[in-house]
Order: sequence, then C-alpha cells, then structure tokens
Amino acid sequence: MNFITLAVKNLMRRKGRTGLTILGVAIAISVLFSLIALNTGYEIELNREMDSFGAHILAVPKGCPYEAASLMIHGGVIPKYLNISDLEAVRSIDGVEVASPLLMYQFYKRDEATGQNNPHIVYGIKIDDMREIKPWWKVEGRFFEDDEKKVKVVGRELAEKENLTVGQVMPFGPHREEFTVVGILERTGDQDDLLHFLPLEEAQRLSNKEGKITTISVKVGDLGRVGAVAVEMEKIPDIQAVTMTQIMGTITNLTGSARSLLMTVISIAMVISAFGILNTLLMSVNERTREFGMLKAIGASGLDIGKMIMAETLIITALGGLLGTVMAVAGSTIIEGFVKGMLPYAPLGSFIHITPELVAFSLVFSVGLGIVCGIYPAFKSSQLTPMEAIRGGLE
Amino acid sequence: MTAILEASGLTKIYRRGREEIRALKEVDFRVDEGEFVSIIGPSGSGKTALLNVIGCLDTPSKGRVILDGTETTKMKERGLVRLRREKIGFVFQQFYLIPTLTARENIELPLLFSRKGERGRIEEILDMVGLSDRGDHLPGQLSGGEMQRVAIGRALINDPKIILADEPTGNLDSATSRMIFELFRDLNRSGLTLVIVTHNLDLANQADKMYTLRDGQMVGCEMLAVPGNGADGSG
Repeated sequence: MNFITLAVKNLMRRKGRTGLTILGVAIAISVLFSLIALNTGYEIELNREMDSFGAHILAVPKGCPYEAASLMIHGGVIPKYLNISDLEAVRSIDGVEVASPLLMYQFYKRDEATGQNNPHIVYGIKIDDMREIKPWWKVEGRFFEDDEKKVKVVGRELAEKENLTVGQVMPFGPHREEFTVVGILERTGDQDDLLHFLPLEEAQRLSNKEGKITTISVKVGDLGRVGAVAVEMEKIPDIQAVTMTQIMGTITNLTGSARSLLMTVISIAMVISAFGILNTLLMSVNERTREFGMLKAIGASGLDIGKMIMAETLIITALGGLLGTVMAVAGSTIIEGFVKGMLPYAPLGSFIHITPELVAFSLVFSVGLGIVCGIYPAFKSSQLTPMEAIRGGLE
Repeated sequence: MTAILEASGLTKIYRRGREEIRALKEVDFRVDEGEFVSIIGPSGSGKTALLNVIGCLDTPSKGRVILDGTETTKMKERGLVRLRREKIGFVFQQFYLIPTLTARENIELPLLFSRKGERGRIEEILDMVGLSDRGDHLPGQLSGGEMQRVAIGRALINDPKIILADEPTGNLDSATSRMIFELFRDLNRSGLTLVIVTHNLDLANQADKMYTLRDGQMVGCEMLAVPGNGADGSG
C-alpha cells in the first residue's frame, strides 16, 4: 500500500461526491480546452486563409476601407473600381514581382431545389498572373487562355453543388450565352472552391465594366520591401494599398471583442470550478477530522495527512482533466458550430485545433488546479493536533 | 519493576467557551513494564483525557509524563509523532477502521506512515488476533468484535511498547467484550504492557492493577494480581 492507493480507496468511500467533483472539474477543463482550441485554431485558420490569397499587397480603389478589403478576400464584392491602366502603373514599380488584376462581380441564381436566390461570385482573372499568385492551383480539364471567349473554370464545391462536369456547356451571364466549363479547380479548402473564374475580358463584358478591375493582387520579391512597395503604390492616384498585415490586424480587431469575451468566460469558469473543488475538499476535510485524529494516533504525521489529502485532490483533478479533454475532443464539432455563429469573421475551414501540446496543457492545468485547491485543505488537516481531531472540532 | 510510563502532577484544563473544565487534577500514575492496567471511572471523570495525555495525543496543562525513559511533555510534535509510531499502539471505542480497506490493509496502514516494510508480520498479527481467514474482508463484512480485533492488530503492527485502549469494548456486547479482554490478556502474557480505560467494572477487575478516577482525580489504585500472571488469582 502507498499514498496513492490509500487516496484512491478513500475516494471510493464517497463515490457519489467524488464522481460529481470529477465531473465538475471535467466540465471546467473541457470548456477551457475547447475555447483555447478554438482560439488557436482560429488564428491558424485565419493565417491559412491569408496565405491562400497568395498576395502580399492588395491594391483597392481609394476610399475603400480595410473592412472591405477583408470582405473581398473572403469573396465579397465592393462597388468601386480601378482602371486597367493602373495595372501597368503598379507593374512598373520597383520590387513588384507579380501584379494580378481581378474583377469581381456578383449575380443571383435561383436554386431549383430550395427556391431561394443564391449569390454567385465571378472572378475575372489573367490566368498566368493568377497562377503565379496561387502556384498550388491544379485543375481537372484545363485552364482557359486569356483571349478565349465563353469559357470558364469553376471551384470544386460549386461544381458539386451545381452538378457541373468538364466540357459541359451551360447558359451563363445576363444574356444566357453558351459557356463551356473547361476546367474544375481541385479543392483548395478556401473561398476559391465556390467561385466562377472567367478570362478578365469576358468578365468585364458580361458585367458591363469594360476596362475596369476591382483589385490588383501584388506579390513582392523581397518580403522586407512590402512596406516600401505599398507606399509607392499609394502614389498612383486611384489606388489605396492594403498589406496583408493590415488586413490581419483589421480582422483581429473585428474579432477581438468576441475573443476577449471567450477568455473572460474561460477565466470565470476556472474560478467557479476552483471554488467548487475547494468547497468540496474543505467539507470532506471537516467531516473527517476524527479519522485524521485516528491516523495521527497510529503514527501519521501532519505531513502524512497533508500528503494524503493532496493525493486525493490530484487524483480528482487529474481524472477530471482527462475526462474533460476527452469530452472536449468528442464534442468539438458541436462547440465549433456554436462559436462560428458568434464570431463576426469566421474562416471557412474547421478551426478547432487540437494538438498534443494542448492536451498536455489541459492535463497539466488540471493538476495545477488540484495543487492550488488542495493546498489549503491539506494544510488545514495537517495542522490539527490529534486531540482536536479526535474531539472532532467539538470546541 | 521498571516503570514504562510515569506521570506526575498531571493537570489538564480545557476551555469550552467561557467555561473552564478541569479534566485532570494533579494526577499521579505509573505503569510498570509488562503490566495490565485498567482505569475505571464514570463518564466525565477524565479517563480519556488521561489516556490522551499519556499517549502523546494531547499535552497536559501542568505536570510531566515519562514514557520509556523519555520525558514527552517537553517534546516537539516531530518527536511525538515518532513516539506514537514506535512505542504506542492505540485502540478506540469506535474502531476507526477505513471502510474501503480490507482487514489486512487496515492492519498494514501504520506501516505506510512508519515506512517500515515488514509485510511478513501482517499474517502473524492476523493470526494473533484470530483473523487469519478474514484478512481479505472489508470492515462492513465483519462483526463488531472482529472489527475491534482488526483495530487491535493495527495497534500491534509497529511492535509497540505499550497499548492504550479507550473503551475498547464500549460498542460491543458482553460476550464479545469478554473475548476482546481475553485477547488483551493473551497479549499481556506474551509480554505486552496494556492500559485500558473502561467503565465496565467486571472487565476492569481482570487487570493486574485498577486505577479509579473521579472528577479528574485519582481516587484509588487497587492491586488485583501479580503482573503477567493473570487475574485468576493463581499467581
């Protein structure tokens, strides 16, 4: 027999209470675990989304705020345009490696199944420039040439939703012209999966925006020069240059209040749980003073008793931590759906991010919680003199 | 005869609110090695207070206690813990067994605190208290007498110099009480010193020496038999 087996057997004397205390710890730890997993996952997913945009700087029309730039990355549309001549001006700036023009527009299409009008987003692009921005793009079928007419490439998810296949001819645009789907993008996991891609000129023709573009994505050769290139770009009258860092900052600000609320919830949950554990332990210690007196009479020192209480506490919190982590992992998709609804800018992919480090952290944290909560009851019980203990706090 | 325990001028005052309770008043008390001593007295006479003070569970307000040549009244908690571990075995009225530990584990418990590894002794002790076939039973599966035997076994495991028992038969019927006293008697014959507090006069009379306490004062000391020879008058 050792202190651990003694502690386990002591805990088994009060199965109901032990079980409930473990459950209390488990709930607190699972909340902590889920919220941290969400928080880190959110950041990672956001970064991934930024990376998948491929550009370092975005040239947007003047007066277009950062929020609109953020919206654009996410596949939104803004009602302001640059001229195609601005593209040449940007290209001539020293340090610009690729400048890829983009015209976005949106149309609504009635979904036969639900009867709802769904928004569709069209990107008019220069295919060679775009592929330099997004070198990971792969296509089933082929990409179109910039001067081809009535062709398009669609995202994988869109193709699945609309039952499109390579080579299919379908009516498209305001005049329902016969467009051929020449390629379907392989899944990218971001907004590209949902888009229609057209040669830039075709997009301009269909949307009556000849010579207009919405934005220019710029890739810089030397990352250290992003700031300098952005400054140069702003010297072009129409253009406001937004760097990815600024966009990230904007999104972080947008979601900041929601995330600090999450953190507050975590902290409050931890404090409530800590007091719950402390209360249960103190109650148990008070009930067991006579037993401690007996233990002292048969040779236990105060330290021995303290150790025993500490072992009991640590077993409770470690089991609670383990159970809580399992609960959090099992319920992560439910929690994610719930939190996604609360955040103003939720990335598309799954952003519950469970790592071995996080699992280790929540286990270490639960043990730490045990140490913090166990210290006072352990100290209190160790300080009882045998007589006080045997008299059971009668005086 | 060498005294294993000698107390002189013991006074113990408790406070309960504003009330001052003088549990012991100038008590002198002596136990020789190998002796079987009983302390008798009505409830509230200070029997338990005396046992706690001599058992190093409590400190006297005045007076001194010498246990096996060591003055305990001046010792720090650390030294007292060692004394309780090595020299004293306690038996209580309510047994105080841990319900989720088997009889064997309850007997083993003091070894956890004394860090002694003599597991072999456990079987010997189970046998000594007549529970060889009950070692794996939980206290809930044992009778009152058996539970008290487990508690006695627990008091014996550290091989103490003296056993202090506080009303060990207080929760038992008279037949079982007699059996427990016989066990004490057997232990005494094998050389163990015993001090037993009781209010059962019949049982107290079986000791070698009987002290009587009343209102915190030692009012009588009766020699009943020659130590170690039993109380049947044969010695």
